[in-house]
Amino acid sequence: MHETKEKHDFEPKIVAFVCTWCTYAGADLAGTSRLHYPSNVRVLKFPCTGRIDPVFILRAFQRGADGVLVSGCHPGDCHYMAGNLHARRRFAAFRGLLDFVGVDLNRLQFSWVSAAEGGKWVEVVTDLTERIRAMGPMEEFKALETEECWSGELNSPELQEAYNNI
Amino acid sequence: MNSTAQKLETSTPIDTSCYADVTDAIRKEAARILADGTVTAVVGYKAGRRAGTTMPAIVTDPAEAGGLIFSPACVNNLALYLTKAKKDVVKKGRIAIVAKGCDMRALAGLMGESQIKREEIFIIGVVCAGVKGSGAVNSEPLTTGNLARKCRECTVRTPEGADLVAGTMPSLPELTPVEALEMARLEAMTPAERWAFWKEQFSRCVRCMACRQVCPFCYCEQCLCDKNRPQAVESTPRPAGNMAWHIVRAMHLAGRCAGCAECERVCPMEIPLNLLNRKMALEMKELYGFEAGLAPQEKGPLSSYKEDDDQSFIK
Amino acid sequence: MSRIGVFVCHCGENISRTVDVERVAAEIGKLPGVALATDYKYMCSDPGQGLLKKAIAEHRLDGLVVAACSPRMHEKTFRNAAKAAGLNPFLCEMANIREHCSWVHEDREEATAKAIDIVRLMVERVKKDKALQPITVPITKRALVIGGGIAGIQAALDIADCGHQVLLVEREPSIGGHMAQLSETFPTLDCSQCIMTPKMVDVANHPNITLHTWSEIENVDGYIGNFQVTIRKKARSVDMDKCTGCGVCMAKCPQKKIKSTFDRGLGTRPAIYVPFPQAVPNTPVIDRENCTYFKSGKCGVCAKVCGPGAVDYDQQDELITEPVGAIVVATGFELYTINEKPKGSPIKGYGEFGHGTIPDVIDGMTFERLASASGPTGGKILRPSDGREPKQVVFVQCVGSRAREKGISYCSKVCCMYTAKHTMLYKHKVHDGQAYVFFMDARTPGKSYDEFWRRAVEEEEAVYIRGMVSRLYQKGDKIVVMGSDISVGVQVEIEADLVVLATAVQPRQGADALAQKLGISYDTYNFYSEAHAKLKPVECATAGIYLAGACQGPKDIPDTVSQASAAAAKVMTLFSRDQLEREPIVARVNERNCVACFYCKKVCPYGAVEEKEIRDRQGNLVRVVAYVNPGVCGGCGTCQATCPSKSVELEGYTDEQVMAMIEAL
Repeated sequence: MHETKEKHDFEPKIVAFVCTWCTYAGADLAGTSRLHYPSNVRVLKFPCTGRIDPVFILRAFQRGADGVLVSGCHPGDCHYMAGNLHARRRFAAFRGLLDFVGVDLNRLQFSWVSAAEGGKWVEVVTDLTERIRAMGPMEEFKALETEECWSGELNSPELQEAYNNI
Repeated sequence: MNSTAQKLETSTPIDTSCYADVTDAIRKEAARILADGTVTAVVGYKAGRRAGTTMPAIVTDPAEAGGLIFSPACVNNLALYLTKAKKDVVKKGRIAIVAKGCDMRALAGLMGESQIKREEIFIIGVVCAGVKGSGAVNSEPLTTGNLARKCRECTVRTPEGADLVAGTMPSLPELTPVEALEMARLEAMTPAERWAFWKEQFSRCVRCMACRQVCPFCYCEQCLCDKNRPQAVESTPRPAGNMAWHIVRAMHLAGRCAGCAECERVCPMEIPLNLLNRKMALEMKELYGFEAGLAPQEKGPLSSYKEDDDQSFIK
Repeated sequence: MSRIGVFVCHCGENISRTVDVERVAAEIGKLPGVALATDYKYMCSDPGQGLLKKAIAEHRLDGLVVAACSPRMHEKTFRNAAKAAGLNPFLCEMANIREHCSWVHEDREEATAKAIDIVRLMVERVKKDKALQPITVPITKRALVIGGGIAGIQAALDIADCGHQVLLVEREPSIGGHMAQLSETFPTLDCSQCIMTPKMVDVANHPNITLHTWSEIENVDGYIGNFQVTIRKKARSVDMDKCTGCGVCMAKCPQKKIKSTFDRGLGTRPAIYVPFPQAVPNTPVIDRENCTYFKSGKCGVCAKVCGPGAVDYDQQDELITEPVGAIVVATGFELYTINEKPKGSPIKGYGEFGHGTIPDVIDGMTFERLASASGPTGGKILRPSDGREPKQVVFVQCVGSRAREKGISYCSKVCCMYTAKHTMLYKHKVHDGQAYVFFMDARTPGKSYDEFWRRAVEEEEAVYIRGMVSRLYQKGDKIVVMGSDISVGVQVEIEADLVVLATAVQPRQGADALAQKLGISYDTYNFYSEAHAKLKPVECATAGIYLAGACQGPKDIPDTVSQASAAAAKVMTLFSRDQLEREPIVARVNERNCVACFYCKKVCPYGAVEEKEIRDRQGNLVRVVAYVNPGVCGGCGTCQATCPSKSVELEGYTDEQVMAMIEAL
């Protein structure tokens, strides 16, 4: 980890939706253990994976995330008994749907990282970052976002033509 | 390309003789239960203004029961009229409803979601050889050519668990499962090809919300997608918002959709919406052994869990 | 427009070493709605908090972001500071730029950019934060203590002495736990039973303690202050009210050859038994698996000889539900066995030590029974195989413990000391005997511990060999111990008469199942997890549940007793008030939008959702909606993610707050 850092052409934006009791604490442990991982991830804290709505994932992609991680407590460890088990079904279904509309599921990672697994957090985040880095930017949702959107340019060929026709 | 039957096979006529029996049975039963006060109203179909069409009808007078019909043009899922369409109607007693098998699945789903109570309704179940697809010509008889897509793979032609089942099923010719073939075609694509397919489909969406309006399960008073604080889904008919809307719609119907395919029928832009619902139904069946059925189920696949649910996708 | 104050902490150099805190403050200061952005060396210090309080007043701030360590560390600190300055504490958020940023990244540019992002997201969140008022819930001032070993006994006595009712639940027929099995205790060599049994009697006689032995926890519902505990009182087959404890039944029971678990299989007991003579309660229990009456329907001797007619073969398990306000978990430990590894266990057995098949290879607890004056040999050290006095005894330390390759990496903490004690007890009883100890290193931190260990080596002539044992095998009536002495680098072979293994301390079987009932977390070994390793060593992350003793990690008696008293103190702190203030992070239903599909009710893990009828002035039912009981809601938010119309919202994690952060990505 201490060798000179490689510079990459593309640095993906990774968004992590995590539960506060296990994965957030696991990420804290990675910090207190002074482990190192890529800085691409932005962590959003929830009480439980059960709180995480698929809409959030969708919106994260729309807002430019190149990869999304959802992580919570291992089955049986949920602070709220079963929130993660409900989440497990919800996200299994959501994955199926995203796959069907053509989203590459390699961009969406689910994991169980416990409060004791600082090392696993590092591994999950590092693997995901490297995988997305290799895949390149998530263009699909971004393209939809900008499609039919005025570029703001005043001298685009279409506008020029329209002016000329006045 | 959508519920309009594709000419995959030569058009063979479908035996629709049972529809007359069903019509008779509906009229008789409706008159009886209205007259003896079992129900206060019957939700059914009557002839439309143009020949060969039908429209939903609510009959409260036994004398008008003779106007009820059942024909291959009875496409609507009337379950809709028991939830949001009658939201502000004061309850005065039991209501009878004419239900095809597919409609009954919706009724069962709504019962599971506390929207209707079994004892508050009287179900006149009808055997159904199929209804017409949306491109069918009104004057044409029902054939394997103009049959609705959903009817080609119907598993609930005789609705069980109704208060009355009208008619007897005729034998049907061999039917090509058009939608299953289309599903297989999509499943075989690469993600990028599927994205291109759906991107094109959704780009046509005009956000008229007919799909939501006609869905028996979209009974929320305030749809998440209409909210602006926060705005989770862009509400204008632009590509990003369209994609989000259809994904959210499919997700919200996962484990609930009864497969009546009304969303697809009413879509003015002919977007094959039922493919999304069907995909979710397949996932629910494969992962959790759940199928929308004719009997109400206490919990759906996404409101329950098992300790040993599949988690092969979780690292 | 919001007026948000942002305070970026240097944390000494912990943050500022990798993150350019001045730049973070400068960049964040440019955001709309940020009235003040500044940095400071130690935000959590008194002057740091003072800075924050002063700024709230001076800049009329209506939201705070403290960019510092993890909210798990100091969220409370800063929320309290905000509260003290008159700002609703829930308008104060922490941006974690230490654990999640400065400590895990090295590149200053990258870390600074990430820190700015983290703080920016929080600023957007705070803009959507709402002032929340704490929820008050009543407290049932009654405690449940699970486990009747020394930890449970100490906790129960302390709480009961303070005037509160205590339910003490023990799985075995008698309280006492492992401490009742010990002979003498280190470092004073006082008799364990002499100090333990008076405490057991205190429990039995305490007016505030209700004892449920031969009982297990079936189910736990509810939350801090308001738990509902279902206890399974296993059928004892003896009526506790009628039994006088005369012991005639035990004397007359024809079935006498059952191996005593209490005596580690060295002694025997009848089918109707108390585990040991000083048992509390002194009421026997019928071991139905071994009782002739239960096996064949014939016998019934105990019922015939029982004067008060207390024997009741038809007794059934009984489930009782009790309300309690706090729970102390003190389920203790068990010893690792060197037998073949249990199925599915990550822990590997010790095939090279004979898989527990050599009768004269015993574990430390079995040696305690041999050495105990009340044990099966009356305190004489005799070999289990032939009852001969062993002249050469080899003690092996760290069997299971500190052996990552065997599946356990932790130190069991008590073995160094008890092995030293064993060598002394042996020497005191067998004057011409020789004790050998194979050890890695001697760990003796504790008052008078090292002196004790030195005494074993220097005065009691135990031979300590630094090295591990590779193999044990039977040769005639001797056990050959093959090991190495790494201090001189030679292989050692000793022909021993008896081998005593200091096997690892493990949590009880089923500790994980109990944890799942309680909703508390546990580590990979099934030791229960405390809420904070240093600052909350007796609390669980689940409010209202506390830990005592070896169920949390290997511990000796003084540590166990201290922790038990600490847990009791926590319970008493809780019970010192009539009402508890709860964080208002609970779900709330928007009744106008609720369409009563009750998906929330189906998924709620707490059963907090009820059906609420809304009626007009005439009393006609207008509609039914969902209602979340704020006292029962645990605050997971599963309802909100499931609700199709988003009519239920989790306070503190509303869609608006979450989406504000996503929009700012």
